[in-house]
Amino acid sequence: MEIILTIGLDALCYILTLLLVSIGLVIIFGLMNVVNMAHGEFFLLGAYSVVLVQKFGGPFWLAMIVGFVAVAIVGLIVEVLVVSRIYHRALDTILATWGVSLVIKQAIIIFFGPASQQVVTPFQAPAHFFGLVYPSYRLFIMLISVMISLCTFIILYRTNLGLMVRGVIANRHMSGCLGLNTQRIDRLTFALGSGLAGLAGVIMAPLMSVDPQMGLGFFLPGFLSVLVGGAGSPLGALWGAGLVGGGTSIIAAIKTPVVSQIIVFSMAMVVIRIFPNGILGRNR
Amino acid sequence: MLNIDCLHSAYIRGANILKNLSFHIKPGELVAVMGRNGMGKTTLVKTIIGLMPYLSGDIRFLEEKILGRKSYEISNLGVAYVPQGREIFKDFTVEQNLLLGVLGKKKKVSDFDLAYQHFPILAERRKQLAGTMSGGQQQQLAIARAIIGKPKLLLLDEPSEGIQPNIVHEIAATLKQISATESLTILLIEQNLELVTRLVDRVDFIENGQIVHSVDVKIIHEDPELVARFMSV
Ligand SMILES: Nc1ncnc2c1ncn2[C@@H]1O[C@H](COP(=O)(O)OP(=O)(O)OP(=O)(O)O)[C@@H](O)[C@H]1O
Ligand SMILES: [Mg+2]
Repeated sequence: MEIILTIGLDALCYILTLLLVSIGLVIIFGLMNVVNMAHGEFFLLGAYSVVLVQKFGGPFWLAMIVGFVAVAIVGLIVEVLVVSRIYHRALDTILATWGVSLVIKQAIIIFFGPASQQVVTPFQAPAHFFGLVYPSYRLFIMLISVMISLCTFIILYRTNLGLMVRGVIANRHMSGCLGLNTQRIDRLTFALGSGLAGLAGVIMAPLMSVDPQMGLGFFLPGFLSVLVGGAGSPLGALWGAGLVGGGTSIIAAIKTPVVSQIIVFSMAMVVIRIFPNGILGRNR
Repeated sequence: MLNIDCLHSAYIRGANILKNLSFHIKPGELVAVMGRNGMGKTTLVKTIIGLMPYLSGDIRFLEEKILGRKSYEISNLGVAYVPQGREIFKDFTVEQNLLLGVLGKKKKVSDFDLAYQHFPILAERRKQLAGTMSGGQQQQLAIARAIIGKPKLLLLDEPSEGIQPNIVHEIAATLKQISATESLTILLIEQNLELVTRLVDRVDFIENGQIVHSVDVKIIHEDPELVARFMSV
């Protein structure tokens, strides 16, 4: 019984973690259609903001704010200097943002060195409930992931700002003709997506070894979740994260992590083949 | 109100679609531009609203130079646009479409009640997804979305395309009324004589990117040959 409960919690935790790292991708890749190869490095910058803030003795919540704001600003700069010139030129975007990713990674190695950094985990005492002992930081991640997803969803679907963002994405020229400053809205959207990638990095930092390669392990399944669920809709990402994350952790509990990755990735390919626009996706 | 002189406009550098075009509208005037397919009618309105990449010449709106300005700036000066093919936001509700006609305006003057009064069908369908409405209803939505921000000049590109006659008549009457009560100037691109004769005061004919003839609408009533000369293939 307890084992099943633990596996269930682990699966839920992994799903929500995937959702957390996918939210920024949903906005930049899913909604804006930009393949940003530097997304993993934005995540990385978020994680290193924890290192930096803790170096100065700052608390974790401060790192969350710093990580979000700093990476949003980096995203804004990348949009202005690089991406804004090459929207709708997919190959150019991939190449240019790949260049950006190399620059960021090298900059981090220059400032922090290639070795992995130690980060202090907040909420160290384990939580006891239903006769179970579970790391409280993982519970915190689940909570925060739900909260961030909910906030993003509300901003996109329940506010005038979100309506403008979605309007510009649906028809940029017409939105401009209605008086919307499309360039400014693009910038804002890209910055928001980047900031969310940074925030995900902050939150994941205590669980991982913070080193220049850490982004990789999550971005493949992250991209996969967005694709499986349907790139055009945030609800799709929820489905995708559920299937990819849930599948991976449950099979990993029965077999081994490697086997589970192989199975889930192949299944994901099949799903994408059958539903090219994702399970919830309409034609984009 | 709108003064266009020596305008050249192209999609591809060097390949001018509009060639040395001049065109003027006075405040409160209702003008139609007619011409055969591919003569540059859509290109003309796209140029005015700032969607064309390669331009030279002069366009002034209310004495302000707008050639080369961004669409959102031109829109904020008081030019509204109903494109050929409507381009409503299909996945958004009627209400959200109208809201997008307001949110970008610096002065957020809007009058939802007035828009719904002019187009009652939209009031009934406020919460319906725009893409699920009929062509005529979508066209009314596109017009309502354009006028809700209180423009001074309305550009309409073939609003009667694919719409049944009784709705066309309804739209003509509504536009005539709005133009009178809101002192709205209208530039109508049309091939449909029904709408032209019901709505405008003046008709200009475009051929190979130039305005080649301009007549009072009364002449059109008297001399159907004239239209045939500029419209038949
Ligand atoms: N996006 C484009 N790129 C290049 N050329 C274009 C483009 N759009 C239109 N053209 C060309 O510009 C010319 C004028 O087109 P335009 O759309 O202005 O015609 P129109 O008078 O509106 O015709 P219609 O009555 O069919 O709507 C045509 O020869 C067309 O082939
Ligand atoms: Mg046309």
